[in-house]
Amino acid sequence: MIDESKVELNSKQKAGNFIGSFGLIIILLVIFGLFSFLIPGVYFTWVNLRDMIRFSSFVGIGAIGMTFCIMTGNFDISVGSMLALAGVLGASLAPRISGVGGVIVTIIVGLFLGFINGVFVTKLKIPAFITTLGMLFVFRAIAYIYTNNTPQYIQDRFWISIGNKTFLGLPIPIYIMAVCYGIAYLLLKKSPVGRYIIAVGTNSRAATLSGINVDNIKILVFTLIGLFVGIAAVINASMLGAANPGMMGDGWEFQVITAVVLGGTALSGGSGSLGGTLLAALIIIFLKTGMSNAQVNSYWQQVATGLVLIFAVSINKLKFWLIGQTQ
Amino acid sequence: MVKFLKVYEKIGIFILIVAASIFLTIVSPNFRNIDTILGIIMQGSYGAIIAVGMTLAITSGGFDLSVEAVMGFTSVILAMLIPQMGFTLSIIIAILASCFVGMVNGVLITKVGISPLIMTLAMQVILRGTSLLITGGRQVVIAQKSFMTIGASKVFNIIPTPIIYMVVIFIAFYLLLNQTTFGRHIAAVGSNEQAARMSGLNVTIIKTLVYVLVAFTASIVGVIRTSQTLIGIPTMAPGFTLNVLTIAILGGTSLAGGKGNLIGTFFAGIFISMIYYGLNLLNVQIFYQFLSVGLVLLFALFVDGLRIRYLESAKVKGIRI
Repeated sequence: MIDESKVELNSKQKAGNFIGSFGLIIILLVIFGLFSFLIPGVYFTWVNLRDMIRFSSFVGIGAIGMTFCIMTGNFDISVGSMLALAGVLGASLAPRISGVGGVIVTIIVGLFLGFINGVFVTKLKIPAFITTLGMLFVFRAIAYIYTNNTPQYIQDRFWISIGNKTFLGLPIPIYIMAVCYGIAYLLLKKSPVGRYIIAVGTNSRAATLSGINVDNIKILVFTLIGLFVGIAAVINASMLGAANPGMMGDGWEFQVITAVVLGGTALSGGSGSLGGTLLAALIIIFLKTGMSNAQVNSYWQQVATGLVLIFAVSINKLKFWLIGQTQ
Repeated sequence: MVKFLKVYEKIGIFILIVAASIFLTIVSPNFRNIDTILGIIMQGSYGAIIAVGMTLAITSGGFDLSVEAVMGFTSVILAMLIPQMGFTLSIIIAILASCFVGMVNGVLITKVGISPLIMTLAMQVILRGTSLLITGGRQVVIAQKSFMTIGASKVFNIIPTPIIYMVVIFIAFYLLLNQTTFGRHIAAVGSNEQAARMSGLNVTIIKTLVYVLVAFTASIVGVIRTSQTLIGIPTMAPGFTLNVLTIAILGGTSLAGGKGNLIGTFFAGIFISMIYYGLNLLNVQIFYQFLSVGLVLLFALFVDGLRIRYLESAKVKGIRI
């Protein structure tokens, strides 16, 4: 074994490591600093900061499961439709079985849909991208058909308070996001499951040969996506006061995947970072809110978002180039 | 059995089309009408044209999520330029501008090493934003009615022009992929990029050209659709990219890269259009169309997986394939 602390790094490699560790934080701080400077009264306030973190929980929580999934070298493009289906089912049942029941149903439906994806991918052996592309259509269609394309409004006090109330000065979604990331971190770093996930992503064949049940790990990962999507659906429906079969989660899958990849998780699998995913989710929301607050034309916002995405991913590539590692 | 499966790989989608045709002939008297059939093929041609380009991209080991934004971009450029420059020049500029977008995609993917997914996704957002900026978010009406002849007229008073474009593009791309060295290089890059590089292929240029070609096909459909509606629409065809991907995959092109099936793509485009037509006959809501496309995709790939596993086990048992 090489003692890593004793390895001499040249200045290039040091710079690369620095970017790897702090690149996202620097981007986040630059964005926050820039808008705080431009619109100090609006952007640089406690209320705004709090709200931005609250909003980022929607993408941030959804991206946890996706981080696991991409680490195993798979992909789930159905999350937006899954969000809508779980949301409308829970919201439509809430008046009959109380808000708590509705929330539980939403999460369980998410869990179950993720499980179905996992079973299709592993047992029917359809590639994950195609399975979930098919499910993207199927889930959305079921959400439409079930509701007959009418939004399901949420009247229940409990459910509404989840997304909008504060506890000890902080919005409740922030606590939920913190707990989700805490559990996910423990799962990834402190349990064998985390090692199995990385093993499957690095070399699925080798993982099988060393006795890991690859199918079960994959099913677990897809089920975890469902779980976190279910939680995100509860928060999203609560913030909006309704679950809309057409609008809910439309295009969300791309935001979630963007957060994961921007966070430094390799699409090829085997490595990833939950902290990076969280920072990336914050970057996306900080940038979006900043531009809205600065009254940037919404079309310019789209252009800028795309450019920042390319820039941030390029910085990540710069890291590998500096360290001298080929991907 | 092995022989049957080999044939099935080539014409599987064709079997589905025949089955769907028989079904439609029985349930719908209209289907026996040549105009109806040509109408269905025309509806399928839009997806099929772009899916032909997409098949090339998937064969090279990537894909392109920016096609719907390229369509909108083309549409906007046409609407802005036609009053000043006339049709021919405007169309040429719109297509060249789209090809340039494809080139930017390709260069950043190959030179900087951004994954195609993220690059083309970012491009989709950037391009849609740019199109909206150009028109100020409005749709721009094209006053010159004669522009309609390009996409909304019929050759010999019977064949809608989009079908002609589809056939021409299909033949051109088929020859390109299967009869030229460039086509073989695309497949080589897709099946093993490292090996292709080692054997002296210029991977950068090959991949960049592929993304230029995808943008080219998307731009062609942008021209056709704009000509039919006579409106420049910056947010043209939302969600169309996924349709295009579905067609390419349903046609039997492997997402793993290296293997493109353009014939399959061509017929998959028509097949999807037949499903939509059949469901319209049944008077069901549009949601059922999503449902059926999703289920057909899953079913087709499930059967395909069974076929591949059967062939693999046959290989293990020593049956010559």
